Amino acid sequence: MRPVRWTAGLLLLVAAPWIVTELVPNQQRYILHVLIFTALYGALALSYDLVVGHVGSLSLAHPAFFGIGAYGSALLGTEAGWPFALALPAGIALAALAALAVGVPMFRLTEHSFAMGTLGVALVTQIVATNWVDVTRGPLCVTGIPKPQVGALRIVTLPGFYWMALAAVALVALLYHALTTFRLGRAFHAVRDNEALAASAAVDPLKYRMLAFAIAAAVAGGVGALYVSYVGVLCPGELAVSLTVNLLVMIFLGGVGSLRGVLIGAAAFTALPELLRMAPTWRMVIYGLLLLVVVIRAPDGLDALLRRRVAASR
Amino acid sequence: MALFEVQGLTRRFLGVVAVDHVDLAVEAGQIVSLIGPNGSGKTTLFNCVTGYLAPDGGRVVFRGRDVTRLAPHRIARLGVGRTFQLVSVFPRLTALENLLTFLQQHQEENIAARLVRTRGVRRHEAQAIDRALALLESVGLSSRADALAGSLSYGQRKLLAFAAALMPDPDLLLLDEPAAAVNPTMINQMKEQIRGLHRQGKTVLLVEHNMDVVMDISERVVVLDHGQKIAEGAPEAIRRDPKVIEAYFGR
Repeated sequence: MRPVRWTAGLLLLVAAPWIVTELVPNQQRYILHVLIFTALYGALALSYDLVVGHVGSLSLAHPAFFGIGAYGSALLGTEAGWPFALALPAGIALAALAALAVGVPMFRLTEHSFAMGTLGVALVTQIVATNWVDVTRGPLCVTGIPKPQVGALRIVTLPGFYWMALAAVALVALLYHALTTFRLGRAFHAVRDNEALAASAAVDPLKYRMLAFAIAAAVAGGVGALYVSYVGVLCPGELAVSLTVNLLVMIFLGGVGSLRGVLIGAAAFTALPELLRMAPTWRMVIYGLLLLVVVIRAPDGLDALLRRRVAASR
Repeated sequence: MALFEVQGLTRRFLGVVAVDHVDLAVEAGQIVSLIGPNGSGKTTLFNCVTGYLAPDGGRVVFRGRDVTRLAPHRIARLGVGRTFQLVSVFPRLTALENLLTFLQQHQEENIAARLVRTRGVRRHEAQAIDRALALLESVGLSSRADALAGSLSYGQRKLLAFAAALMPDPDLLLLDEPAAAVNPTMINQMKEQIRGLHRQGKTVLLVEHNMDVVMDISERVVVLDHGQKIAEGAPEAIRRDPKVIEAYFGR
């Protein structure tokens, strides 16, 4: 039964562009755009959850790594003329290197000071992106970022970008699953649950925290590179702290530490603000109220709520 | 040469000398108890020798190797196990997973192999599960193997923590008040466990307030008071030592 449902779900996702065209031909572009954002947000939220949900470090620096990957690949693509197939891995590598450099001092801090320190990293990165005009073009934004091209495969159409984003989130989901289960996942969770006890079990807390932090940053950098190749423009505002707030809402209201929960959260909280555009004046008020309802009705996330419903109906 | 040796260990907290030039030697295969009134520095000493606190002076030697100031996970890897005074488990892992965590770092360290789950890693996992189930059985927790550790009772968590420390088969085991808040039946079971370790040639250093346990299982007792070692010897001699009686009951 399960494999059947999985295959059906996967086919549905892959076929989404055609289905959307059939069902709502005049809204096709808009809906695909929202789906692309959902997939990219899903990948980003999964990477963020590796740090917050699995090793239990409340990093607020995620927009910085997203931004480093985005700026790195965008500038290499426009200024240096690197092809996408090189600019993407370069963005990933730059973000991972930045995480390793930042992680060494940051992980000397504990809990709240770690959150504050990483918030500082996010703010400084955005300030640099805004003010280092010679390189980043500052508020004038990086424009004309080339479309993805690997060999003869060139992605230009909306369905093309949709499949690219879908492949990205699928790949990140597989990586997330491999990292958070079995022995590696156990070491992560041991560090999260009780650092002193983990050390007595010969698990090096710093090593596993750094590993999760660097991998999460690499993924965020990759998503950043894909994102700019899709929208074609990159402004410093994309690195704002509000991105962290969105990600926190997604993982905590979806289901922290759970693959399905985080994806549900990413889908719900990307689609919800878009649906609310129907009531433009009251949009943010309704959004806020809905967040409150979820927090009260499902404090441990939508995923847990779904699971309880399923268990109750049996 | 002693398996484990502490030489002139000193640790201060804001001018208060918690551990004051303590010397201690534990021979391989011995059970040694560390006793003393509350605040006499027993737990501080434990934390200094296992890397959780940096000593202000002195040396810690394990199997002839200076391990002073090594990080806790490195000391653990050398074959030193410890438990904590406050019950310490991984609450969001199951009882079985708690135990498995304690063995995996000793079996292999290669993260990449773990990610792709090579044959060797899967074989290690199977061996670890066998050993963990046997240990859970020995502390009477087999039926709770798949329960989250956070859902176990206080006593069960204490037994789980004890079993977990045994997982990597440490050469030296430091137990911080294993019998505190454990019911009498379980205390007897735990004493049997410690005697079993002794028969296997393991070395145990134990901090304990329960004098029945201390007198019953230790071969040698070391007494701390105000951070200083005031007496050392066989249990019967310690029981009659006037200095020890004074430290506990006052003059």
